[in-house]
Amino acid sequence: MALSVDELKAAIIEKATKAPKPQLYIKDFYACDADSKPRVIKNVANDLVKEGKLMFWSSGSTTMYALPSRIKNEETRPQD
Amino acid sequence: MGYDPKNPMVDRITDIGPPHFEQFYPQVVKDNKGKWLYHEVVQAGVLVHVSESGAECYTVRVGSARLISIEHIRELCDIADAHCDGFLRFTTRNNVEFMVDNKAKVQPLLDDLASRGNKFPVGGTGACISNCVHTQGWIHCHTPATDASGVVKAVMDELFDHFVNMDLPAKVKMALACCLNMCGAVHCSDIAILGVHRKPPMVDHDAISGLCELPLAISACPLGAVKPFKATNSAGEEVKSVTVNAERCMFCGNCYTMCPAMPLADPDGDGIAILVGGKVSNAKSNPTFSKMVIPFLPNTPPRWPETVAAVKNILETYAKDANQYERIGEWAARIGWEMFFEKTGIPFTMKSIDDYRLAYDTWRTTTNFKFTSHCK
Amino acid sequence: MPKHDTPLMDELEKGPWPSFVTDLKRQAETKPECWDILGQMELSFKDRITHWKHGGIVGVFGYGGGIVGRYSDSPKQFPGVAHFHTVRLNQPSSKFYSSAKLRDICNLWEKYGSGMTNMHGSTGDLVLLGTRTENLEPLFYDLTHDLKQDLGGSGSNLRTPACCIGSARCEWSCYDTASICHHLTMHYQDEIHRPAFPYKFKFKFSGCPNDCVASIARSDFALIGTWKDDIRIDQDAVQGYIKGDYKPNGGARAKSKPFDIDEDVLALCPTACMRMKDNKLQIDNKNCTRCMFCLNMMPRALRPGVIKGASILCGAKAPILDGAQLATLIIPFVEVTADNEYENIIEVIESIWDWWMEAGKNRERLGETMQRLGLPTFLKVMDVTPIPQHIKIPRENPYVFWTDEEVPGGFERDIREFRKKHAQ
Repeated sequence: MALSVDELKAAIIEKATKAPKPQLYIKDFYACDADSKPRVIKNVANDLVKEGKLMFWSSGSTTMYALPSRIKNEETRPQD
Repeated sequence: MGYDPKNPMVDRITDIGPPHFEQFYPQVVKDNKGKWLYHEVVQAGVLVHVSESGAECYTVRVGSARLISIEHIRELCDIADAHCDGFLRFTTRNNVEFMVDNKAKVQPLLDDLASRGNKFPVGGTGACISNCVHTQGWIHCHTPATDASGVVKAVMDELFDHFVNMDLPAKVKMALACCLNMCGAVHCSDIAILGVHRKPPMVDHDAISGLCELPLAISACPLGAVKPFKATNSAGEEVKSVTVNAERCMFCGNCYTMCPAMPLADPDGDGIAILVGGKVSNAKSNPTFSKMVIPFLPNTPPRWPETVAAVKNILETYAKDANQYERIGEWAARIGWEMFFEKTGIPFTMKSIDDYRLAYDTWRTTTNFKFTSHCK
Repeated sequence: MPKHDTPLMDELEKGPWPSFVTDLKRQAETKPECWDILGQMELSFKDRITHWKHGGIVGVFGYGGGIVGRYSDSPKQFPGVAHFHTVRLNQPSSKFYSSAKLRDICNLWEKYGSGMTNMHGSTGDLVLLGTRTENLEPLFYDLTHDLKQDLGGSGSNLRTPACCIGSARCEWSCYDTASICHHLTMHYQDEIHRPAFPYKFKFKFSGCPNDCVASIARSDFALIGTWKDDIRIDQDAVQGYIKGDYKPNGGARAKSKPFDIDEDVLALCPTACMRMKDNKLQIDNKNCTRCMFCLNMMPRALRPGVIKGASILCGAKAPILDGAQLATLIIPFVEVTADNEYENIIEVIESIWDWWMEAGKNRERLGETMQRLGLPTFLKVMDVTPIPQHIKIPRENPYVFWTDEEVPGGFERDIREFRKKHAQ
């Protein structure tokens, strides 16, 4: 049976917290619940962004997800 | 009210999409949408579309640099207000189109455009060199192997007569991409100007752990040339990094896209390749990719004379030799690529032979060929 | 007053083509950061290399696309372009504007940005070039509240859809490209603004096989207009072309040799399906592939049929990484009508997405997934019956992937039974 939205949110946050790399592809979250359709998982991940619990990380051509606390930011990086 | 930084989410509006196009249609377009019978190019840069109602829509097409200022856009608006009831549109190839509903309104519009210096060249229709669509280059891009706006300006200056006169065998669509990522369909252009790198990426061992996720950098390489590596940084510490097998590098820059600590741009390494003979239209012959005929020309700002001369040579040879209504790729296919190299005088080298995946599809497997000066 | 010496850039003020350098200088009078754009560009011309740093994580809150971050690598020298982010505005279908709308956009960009733009980016967005991080949220607020418009796509999103001019001003358009482009743009706002896919996904809509938005070369989902019945012929107009009353090819050439219908049209028809009989043009429509060549040559005489719709082709992309791909024909003909709110097309799009989101690898375009897993797999998941239209030529190798169920008796066999009749 597919996880509830709240269970799915918890599983996604856990994944984003424990993953060895901070940036995750949307596909990395599919494993959080094999019974939920990719588009459901995508919607829940994007809701977490709206709630401020995840953030988008973009190379311009590719967009990934990350916990805000784990991300390296250009403007917080020391400037020469 | 306006934006309140303390309450950024108050009254937030999202996902409303673009404005509806219909409010921007000139009246003659609104009245005749779906009713057009035929069109004709009246003179270079001027089209007429005739509706079954008898209505006519005259369009004046004007080239633009694509990289334009709001002052320039405001001037476009002034022209639209003076002649076109305040409407205008842009084409896929970065031209501006002014539409009027009456032939008598065309000449005053042309006169107005001509009175404004060289800002608004009228052309880009029919058997001409199209406006050269292009990418950002040094004005904004972080991965370019060449500039875009500067090269295009230099090339368009030289080919200007072919933009304002419809004197070619058929239309020639030209495009520039400043690296292999090709933000734009240059891979199916009659003439494509492509920025290429020729040096493998350097690895910044001091910065890599702070900037990159190593697995992303490693998996970015299509040929497996990027491998994990224990390196020593400038502080003498051992750090987890990557190494690049230069022999396998195809200079695509995909690793740099994923990892800022692997820059590959270089003043002498980078330059321009020329590809020809592609098209997207299905008319007469199938859509096809452009083929690389010049693997490298140097970056020589401000006017890139080698690139300008190469493009001009291909264009002039084609203009002299091709049949009417024949696109560059159709011409080259008819005369044979050996004749293309013979007639253009472009040197054929080992680099002109494909050695990437599926290269075999491009090798000649027939005795049907023409004897040219290449056969010694 | 110029802030930097720009002798190399100044060279690009010469010549007949409009000069972006002259334009930048003009803009710099009111937006002095343009001097720094010129200055950094001059340095790039001198050094023959870019001076923009890699990427950057900027955006407006809740959106995963629409802004591309950019920073100068020489901010002390060129403080005006220390931050130089681009903002992609979703363009109206077919890029029609009123001067009022454009002036509003100019005023917005005068307030928040450098004053420089791209009209337009390659995908189709109106690109505002160069602003600072702290301006992004206020700009977005004004954009949505005052201008009542929105950002386009970037990243692993549905990219901003684009279309040709369509039936608004083209007699060849076989469906209303602008309407479906707008409808689907609105329908998929979430997919445009937030990442949804393994990689980017592009829709492009061309009204006829001339394909003026190059959909067949660069879109994952290309809808290209076509028709099912006979080309409509006006025989009087055909005679008009023969007599030289009308300019061939819609007047595309300033000077043409006298029009010869045999040489210039009939002989060049790729399917050789046209002939003149008793001074009348005949077309063997059964054998016509609707390539548009004869229509392009004689627009007054020939028109598409009346049963119009579109073909769906999938999987085009530029070369990175495994080489460029043109789109592959998947569905030869669909009706395109607002009457059903494009339900039949939406159904096709969503079957593609449901499959690709699962099967596609990260950073793999649809065409690459199709190539890796095969066209037969794609047709199966799309529930499309294979037809010869799907291929250029039949397969040339004999390696058919038969399955257990397809072979009588299945794959399981007993080697000992076999050996009873066939000694080792």
